[in-house]
Amino acid sequence: MFKKILVANRGEIAVRVIKACHEMGISAVAVYSDADRLSLHVQIADEAVGIGPPPATESYLDMDRIIQAAQKTEAEAIHPGYGFLSENAAFARRCEKENIVFIGPNSDALELVGDKVRSRQTLGKADIPIIPGMKGIVKDTASVLAEARTIGFPVMIKASAGGGGKGMRVVSEESSLIPSLEAGMREAKSAFGDESVYLEKYIEEPRHVEFQVLADNHGNVVHLFERECSIQRRHQKIVEETPSQALDNELRARMGETARKVMHVSGYNNAGTVEFLLDKDKNFYFLEVNARLQVEHPVTELTTGTDLVQHQIKIAAGEKLPFEQEDLEQKGHAIECRIYAEDPHNDFLPSPGKILYFKEPQGPGIRHDCGIFSGWEVPIYYDPILAKLIVWAENRESACQKMIKALDDYVILGVQTSIRFLRDLISHPQFRRGATTTSFIQDHFDDWSGDRDSEEKKNLALMAAAYDSLSRSTLREDYAAAKKELFSPWQSLGKWRLGGK
Amino acid sequence: VEFEFLLNDVLRKISVEKKEKVYVFSDGEKKYVADVQQISPHQISALIDGVSYLIIMAKDKDRRYFMIDGQQFVVEEPAEEADSFHRGDEKTAEGILLVKAPMPGKVIKVCVSLKDKVRKNQTLAIVEAMKMENEIKASVDGTIKAIHVSDGDLVDPDMPLIELEP
Repeated sequence: MFKKILVANRGEIAVRVIKACHEMGISAVAVYSDADRLSLHVQIADEAVGIGPPPATESYLDMDRIIQAAQKTEAEAIHPGYGFLSENAAFARRCEKENIVFIGPNSDALELVGDKVRSRQTLGKADIPIIPGMKGIVKDTASVLAEARTIGFPVMIKASAGGGGKGMRVVSEESSLIPSLEAGMREAKSAFGDESVYLEKYIEEPRHVEFQVLADNHGNVVHLFERECSIQRRHQKIVEETPSQALDNELRARMGETARKVMHVSGYNNAGTVEFLLDKDKNFYFLEVNARLQVEHPVTELTTGTDLVQHQIKIAAGEKLPFEQEDLEQKGHAIECRIYAEDPHNDFLPSPGKILYFKEPQGPGIRHDCGIFSGWEVPIYYDPILAKLIVWAENRESACQKMIKALDDYVILGVQTSIRFLRDLISHPQFRRGATTTSFIQDHFDDWSGDRDSEEKKNLALMAAAYDSLSRSTLREDYAAAKKELFSPWQSLGKWRLGGK
Repeated sequence: VEFEFLLNDVLRKISVEKKEKVYVFSDGEKKYVADVQQISPHQISALIDGVSYLIIMAKDKDRRYFMIDGQQFVVEEPAEEADSFHRGDEKTAEGILLVKAPMPGKVIKVCVSLKDKVRKNQTLAIVEAMKMENEIKASVDGTIKAIHVSDGDLVDPDMPLIELEP
């Protein structure tokens, strides 16, 4: 087993990985940009190395600096977390060359599944169901209109190099194709350093169902069941759960086997996720492989009783999987809510700033993965995810109730967050019925205003402010009076004895 | 004592009077008798008509943040120029709209040129914050009078990006 691992990431996921290292008795090295000097992952790591200025391209995406940091600290392996360099085959190859273990898939598999276009061709040949789309990436904007017409509107623009909603756009009419394409390419360029995009058919009213897979270096591949991630905003997942309400055992087994086959065909090892779209008629299509640990991995951990990060590390160290497919089962229900620094009252614009006060919910079945604390400034340079709130309960309804209670108990002051929005989302009757599709938020929350207009609460806020102002001025008066008293003649009367005669 | 506060950018008045153990608040119409006690620097308990409310409080310079039942409220002292707290487009004395960025970020692209005629909802500039692109749109039809930023500039919400004459 490794003695020291460098965690090439920041935020909640860096914290999660560092804690896993510590639990396994492995030293953890953090890296940080100038904007993250005070961040939690730096504080809890055994060593921390500065890797440059705030923009990710000059720090967390800079391979040279990350490799240098690993060499300097003599780390034997690098855990890339999610985002940044996690799905970068050139980086994985570089690690291999420098004799550092990349905790993730081998670079060939990473290159194959990371190239969404080539992987579709390979998997299509292996009879994996795929969505109709372009045969290659967009080369010039002139020919793309013809391609889009062949596929048929609406079409989806997707970044070849990435996931997480970055660079993605749905285009429903010809006139908006070119502007959306340009915006998608810019976003892809800034998020992944690669502006390649491609088009595919946009499936309406789909559910997003993905399967977690673990594959060791000895040819063993298991799936750890599904996660449903249909609740999305701007193609960014915000609520994930498992099991999915849309699957029965037969469909679950079929999709799980398909996921294992995808990984076999791709020559994949370590943890990965196979994403599918499930249409109204329960047809499923292979979407892509997320060749990394995912944001939503905790719901799988809670329902299967596994620690995926520890398995990643063990697999990378050459260990065999300790279980076979038949040993794995799902128990209970888990839901995750992503807590973003964004303002749900202002078109969900990012809300950077200082976290003035922070209190996390606690209780049985509540897990909170976070990288924040009171006094921490949320930087403008990175993804606005602050934390993940995950609950587990015996069944879906109890899990919903637990989540609502936990969101009620969650306090973050100073920046705007999506907490209240999430609470209303989980409380929505359609969500409770399990009627979740990727257009859920558009369909039910387009004109959401929350309880912000409640006069009762506004009055309470005003009363608290008035009380606070009043007690502050009273305090000042008391202080002034006390100060005055200090110079009163009584002070100069010398020693007095209590009860003296 | 009477106070004027900006509650979520709206001007409100409230008066408070201490009577024995309770506080009497009035917003001009209604009176509230409340037993208010501070539990810690961040927690205030208010008991009104037999119901207890927990108010979480945090301060940053002259801003105070309150969380009541999962909902955050921002309370500020009213500024000298009352309109400087107004979010979104501000008007100059000549009636020219100052288009501002709604959050701190980086200008990715300025989509208009000087003297361009623009339509309402036309994208004027694209500002990226936290890896998401946000389009800054024209709130009215008009003409571009001035452009204060160029591609790559870092901006914050107080800075006018573009001046637009309706």
